Amino acid sequence: MSLRETLKAQQNNIREYGMYIAFVAIVVIFSIATHGKFISSRNIGNLVNATSYIAVLAVGMTLVIVIRHIDLSVGFLAGTLGAVAAIALKYWHLSVFLTIPMILVMGAIAGLLTAFLVAQMKIPAFVATLAGWLGYHGLLQLVTAGTGTIIIADTFYNALGTGYIPDIKQIDIIPGIHEVTLIIGVLAIAFFIYGEIRSRRITITYHFEVQPINLFVIKLVVISAVIAGITWILAGYQGLSWATVIVLLVVMLYTYIATRTVTGRHIYAVGGNPEAAQLNGISVKRVTFLVFGSMGFLSALAGILYSSWLRSATTVAGTGWELDAIAAAFVGGVSVAGGVGKIPTSLLGALVMGSLTSGMNLLAWDNSIQYIVKALVLTGAVIFDVATRKKTS
Amino acid sequence: MDEATPVVEMRNIKKNFAAVQALRGVDLVLHHNEVLGLVGDNAAGKSTLMKVLSGAYIPDEGEIFIEGKKVHLTDPLHARRIGIEMVYQDLALANNLDVTANVFLGRESVSNRIGPLGVMNTHSMEQEAQRLLDRLKIDIPSVRLLVERLSGGQRQAVAIARATAFNSKVIIMDEPTAALSVAAISKVLDMVRELKAQGASIIIISHRLEDVYSVSDRMIILRQGRKVRDCPVAGDIDEFRERVVAYIIGARDDFAQQASPAVAG
Repeated sequence: MSLRETLKAQQNNIREYGMYIAFVAIVVIFSIATHGKFISSRNIGNLVNATSYIAVLAVGMTLVIVIRHIDLSVGFLAGTLGAVAAIALKYWHLSVFLTIPMILVMGAIAGLLTAFLVAQMKIPAFVATLAGWLGYHGLLQLVTAGTGTIIIADTFYNALGTGYIPDIKQIDIIPGIHEVTLIIGVLAIAFFIYGEIRSRRITITYHFEVQPINLFVIKLVVISAVIAGITWILAGYQGLSWATVIVLLVVMLYTYIATRTVTGRHIYAVGGNPEAAQLNGISVKRVTFLVFGSMGFLSALAGILYSSWLRSATTVAGTGWELDAIAAAFVGGVSVAGGVGKIPTSLLGALVMGSLTSGMNLLAWDNSIQYIVKALVLTGAVIFDVATRKKTS
Repeated sequence: MDEATPVVEMRNIKKNFAAVQALRGVDLVLHHNEVLGLVGDNAAGKSTLMKVLSGAYIPDEGEIFIEGKKVHLTDPLHARRIGIEMVYQDLALANNLDVTANVFLGRESVSNRIGPLGVMNTHSMEQEAQRLLDRLKIDIPSVRLLVERLSGGQRQAVAIARATAFNSKVIIMDEPTAALSVAAISKVLDMVRELKAQGASIIIISHRLEDVYSVSDRMIILRQGRKVRDCPVAGDIDEFRERVVAYIIGARDDFAQQASPAVAG
């Protein structure tokens, strides 16, 4: 296969590769500009924790945008639920093991309420969730009116946003390195390579075309190297944080659902052509309820992660998160037209935006410039997306 | 089963939309392994009749028999479950999904279940989709191609492949050759012939009389919600076209005698 043909065959993936390359470029540029401070274990650890709640929202938002809707209410919903969690722990003296499931269920119910307005009452999602934005903003101020900022004392709860997975004291092969994190990283690489080779083998036995072997190997090496690099950096600080573990679990679960299950297939079918989906026996209403319900659930999780990260619930928690999540999804290649958008690349989108914030903060750039840079990155990403999409079709 | 029993028999189907009588008592019979052309001017009732058969409309009056058994169709899914497949004019494809996903849209095969989640058996679906394309001699390089990257003719082929995927008893095609290039039209017509050769029973709605002429065994002409002709397709194409047009515009009517008392009543 000539290089030209190879590239042509890969057109589908160029969008995605472009995003990975852009991310690596951002990391390299900031690392050089900050004389290595950006890539330091401490900074990357903090960056990942600070991005966790937006990443979780971006995962849910991806599916919402895939089915051609939008959810503006998620930020203040997350803030409100974080405050309710704090109140439940501090004033109602509920156990943390009761509080967390309760908050998650409340989030899912809030999402189903949105879905009711959208799917049942046929209110455009923009309007329905704008109402949610107003309502939850008010509710957040209402629940925190008597208390102001609520300090959370529960150590288990706070560990979710600030804690790290434990290391095994007995194993201390490399001093100052978090061995458990390293082991997890090595396992992740092994699983990744095994999975890729296995799926390639199956594809070949079924006589379908596969990526040319050289590109396949490059892909394996690059992604393995990135995982190894991140693992090494994280292991050098305090290891893998619980927030990272939660985000990874959410991303893996949602990726699996989106790509491997009937439910996921139906979500993308509804996004691609709702009328066709309905004619083929897929309930658009059911899918809408499911997607908004999951969005509410993830909003609750984001609220928990954030309040636990701050060890407190504030009166302004959640301000603007919905827009950050939407931006992350678009940077990650989700299409406004619906039907297109992958979960892992939305995580990448969140990481790109988080890296920009972190890097520009380290460089002590003014907030005004930071906003303008982010605007350019968002616009650039979408222009790139539209341009590559046109070429392929 | 008795081969003489028609696959589809519709008797005296009536359907009104407010004051408009879209169907005024239409009879239709489709035999096993027969291709039936359904023609008529705009608003003659072709699509309405087929929407009744595919479960999208519930008729005000009349009976439907599938292989001799009376059925009351409630919705398109119900119709599909008993083997009535419709290829819609706008194809009802999800362009963002690949060929396999579209062939199995809404009927994905599941390898195992995790709680409420069905895990798809992707490879078996891909193989089955490939087998269907091969069987219908459809020229699509890969079942993993997104539908948005296919040509109009290839998309029509995917929609037809879907209709044949689940042991359908009857396949209804709504204007399968509209908006296609000449080359693509001939491929679609080849596909119809191939399906017939494999034993399918097909109803084709078409504006293009030459298409009906070239693939149909029999044709029904509707005019203003009534059947005005029901006859085998035979003879010379020019003569055929001239005769059919006479029926379509109302210059001739084989069932005028039967219709008048009904109108009077």
